[in-house]
Amino acid sequence: MRIFGWIVAAAAGALALAAAPAEAQTKLRFFTNFDASAVRIWQPILDAYEKANPNVKVTMETVAGSGAAIYPDVLRTSMAAGDPPDVFFMWGGEIAGPFIDAGQVMDLGAIYDKHGWKQRMTPWTVDAITRNGKIWGVPFNARGMGFFYRKDIFAKHKISEPKSYAELEQVCETLKKNNVYCASFGGKFGWHPMRLLDYFIETACGPDMHNKLNRLEASWDSACAVDAYGRLKKWVDRGWLVPDFLSVTPADARMPVYLGDAAMIIEGDWFEFVVRGDKQSSANLDFFLPPTGHQPLRYSAFPHQWMIPAKAKNPEASAHFIDFITSPGLQKQFPAAFLASATVGIEPDCKEWPITCKWRQIITTSRDIYPPTDQAFTKELMDGFFEVQSGIIAGKIAPADGGKQMQAKAEAWKATKK
Amino acid sequence: MTRSAGAVGWSQTATAWAFLAPALFFYCVFLVYPMMESLWISLFKWDGMAATKVFVGLDNYRRVFFEDEVAQRALWNNLVWTLAALVFPTALGLALAMALDTKIKGVVVFRTIFYGPGVLPLVAVGLIWAWMYNPHFGAVNTVLKLMDMRHLTRGWLSRYETAFWATFITYLWSHVGFPMVLYLAGLQAIPKELYEAAEMDGAGAWKRFVHVTLPGLKEAHVIVLSLAVIHALKVFDLIYTMTYGGPGQSTQVLGTWMYFQSFQYYNAGYGAAIAWVISAIILVIAIPYIRHQTKA
Repeated sequence: MRIFGWIVAAAAGALALAAAPAEAQTKLRFFTNFDASAVRIWQPILDAYEKANPNVKVTMETVAGSGAAIYPDVLRTSMAAGDPPDVFFMWGGEIAGPFIDAGQVMDLGAIYDKHGWKQRMTPWTVDAITRNGKIWGVPFNARGMGFFYRKDIFAKHKISEPKSYAELEQVCETLKKNNVYCASFGGKFGWHPMRLLDYFIETACGPDMHNKLNRLEASWDSACAVDAYGRLKKWVDRGWLVPDFLSVTPADARMPVYLGDAAMIIEGDWFEFVVRGDKQSSANLDFFLPPTGHQPLRYSAFPHQWMIPAKAKNPEASAHFIDFITSPGLQKQFPAAFLASATVGIEPDCKEWPITCKWRQIITTSRDIYPPTDQAFTKELMDGFFEVQSGIIAGKIAPADGGKQMQAKAEAWKATKK
Repeated sequence: MTRSAGAVGWSQTATAWAFLAPALFFYCVFLVYPMMESLWISLFKWDGMAATKVFVGLDNYRRVFFEDEVAQRALWNNLVWTLAALVFPTALGLALAMALDTKIKGVVVFRTIFYGPGVLPLVAVGLIWAWMYNPHFGAVNTVLKLMDMRHLTRGWLSRYETAFWATFITYLWSHVGFPMVLYLAGLQAIPKELYEAAEMDGAGAWKRFVHVTLPGLKEAHVIVLSLAVIHALKVFDLIYTMTYGGPGQSTQVLGTWMYFQSFQYYNAGYGAAIAWVISAIILVIAIPYIRHQTKA
């Protein structure tokens, strides 16, 4: 009986010893839209954090593959279920908006001051994530978009980077005459061809009017918006775009560019990384900012950010983790993970990442940006925008009707929000 | 010692309840409660996340039928899809069952081949077929080009005219095996003597089919047609993965529109109302089916 007592006591002691560190350990769920290659790059960073903070275990959860189409749904479901992650990735504008408006995101104002994050970040990125005068996230990436092109195709047909919209049309015409599509898009989720339409709106309407359209302070039935729709139709009708692209995924739209069937694609500063991930050569690529004919020359840009849920179990640990991954010291140790960093002073190796490096110089010096429409509109209104856009591309809606329909959708949406 | 009849009856009832209770508990927790909760939510304007909800009564249901053009298009698409699902997979399933109701060598292989797609997850099926329909490197257009039918190649899922039916063909491919198996079982239960008698009476193949086979499959018809309607009304996965409701909103069905409203537009109340419209339609069909099954 005494032996039995000793065994029980020893077992209880062992259990207590085993349980003690587990109870002391803080668990952080880190939720991102990283794909497999990004996960591989980020795992060593998480390992470094755990090594520096042995009492914290960070678990990465990812939803990859559809851009902003599905990731927010999964996040929202976890929040509605009362089980949000501790730190999560988010875009800016109206993709983040519903989470903020629903009170699901922590106001980071006080934490900003504590960590000095404002001084750490590229200035426009903090402005871009500010909503209702408050800062809800910490900028992670500063992203810009432009026309990427195949240098060999341009050289073969003696084409140089266009300096005006008229020259861009000439480029497309020349390419078409030589049986090369001017550009490739994947319309399945709507946001890829939206980048082209956004450019047309910026070009046809100019910066002020574009801003007003994004804020629904001007009519989408106005002449310049109809003109923008007309340009989209023209690009389709002239055969400048790879045809039948409405059901093609944005990832698959890269294929004609890789194959040399299309010369251009609108992508962002991440494209060099993506191209290498797709086992293609990036040496044959370069980019230019779409010429708008307006001053300032604005380009489409947006930040990515890290956010902390309002119901985070351990907000201090979450903030500490964000502080770690946005710090210049850490980012310099793992440059491949921070090619588009919003942290000031973090530059990629320009020999290894020449295109990305060129982008960094633009993004960190120019504040003249406009947001992609899907970050200016809520998803509900955005799908109305996509519906009109698809109708124009498919030839089902005339540009003038497109303007009227979009304005009607904007008014209907505003009415539901009253 | 003897017990009264009442005590025995009570004991049997208690035993039955004891066995039923765990299943009933899970049924209530995971099905009945969420359903009632969603019915309650459908009476509110709510974003699905905020702490406050605004009671709107039946207004969400009014919007489905009288205001929301996409919901009405989705309802119409569901109706067309269901009618097509009633006709094509069942007819093809019956034809395959009759063709495979023989004892020739290799028949099991064919049965497996035709039933195989039915066990694949619809999300995987949708993704595979979306690649097959890719206008530039997809198998469908590639085969058409190889067969010198280049004029027929097109963006099957990109065009408003073809996207819906191209998606339905995928549904047909994946759903033909199930009615085939049920009809095959039904065919094997029909006494061969009936065919012999009909043949002796001078009935040709068509008359034997109409007067022997079809009546003999009465039980199978009820199951096949009821399940065809229920499966068709629940369609979601294929539309979501293949067209995402597009181009435009031309291929939206109630299932996807409910998802978009609830999870993408943050209209949880309205999404719940759409879900209940789907449920109500399915229940109208399912209740006679369930009654038939329980009688059987």
